[in-house]
Amino acid sequence: MKSKYLISNKFKIPGWLLLGPGLLAGLLEITMEFDTDILSISVLSLYNGDSLFSNNNGFFLILTNGVLDEIIALCIIIGGLLVGFSEEKIEDEFIYKLRKDSLVWAIIFNYIVLMFAIIFIYEFTFFNILVFNMFTPLLFFIIRFNILKARA
Amino acid sequence: MKNNIKIERARHNLTQGDLAVKIGVSRQSINAIEKGKYVPSALLAIKIAQLFKLPVEDLFFLEEGE
Repeated sequence: MKSKYLISNKFKIPGWLLLGPGLLAGLLEITMEFDTDILSISVLSLYNGDSLFSNNNGFFLILTNGVLDEIIALCIIIGGLLVGFSEEKIEDEFIYKLRKDSLVWAIIFNYIVLMFAIIFIYEFTFFNILVFNMFTPLLFFIIRFNILKARA
Repeated sequence: MKNNIKIERARHNLTQGDLAVKIGVSRQSINAIEKGKYVPSALLAIKIAQLFKLPVEDLFFLEEGE
């Protein structure tokens, strides 16, 4: 079965090469609290309305920002999309069903975990949960899909 | 829905992998269909039946209540 949303199987390995190191770097960044000011460059900000310590508020500003965390986040997201939405070597209707079921499962599971966090986790730790939550729908989907495929 | 694929596969001396290659699907699909975990599309059911030179009704059966 062909889906117009899936890309070629060739992207699977590049996807893992982005996702794996991206996740590793992301975990290191969070646990070891890297200095995110390395790789500081000027960036275009479409809108900044919450700058407490400067006058950098408004639309279309050039700000200075350490872009390491942005690069890591993009590696995880692009890698995750490539891994999750590239075709299997043999793509058929059963694999398509596994993928669809895994997506539904991942979205529901993600929001159950998020609801639990909303109720029981507060202050800055909750901010960390929100950061994780940028990636967890994709990650839960990839993990679930690969488990179902291995079991089948 | 139940099916006789495993029996027909044995009769033709084919592994799940062999059958999958002949039909052009993944081995996981054949396994899931044999175990009754997945009901194939009409297209796939007809392809499998044609390979075994059987009418689809001789390969796939409705269960009671279906």
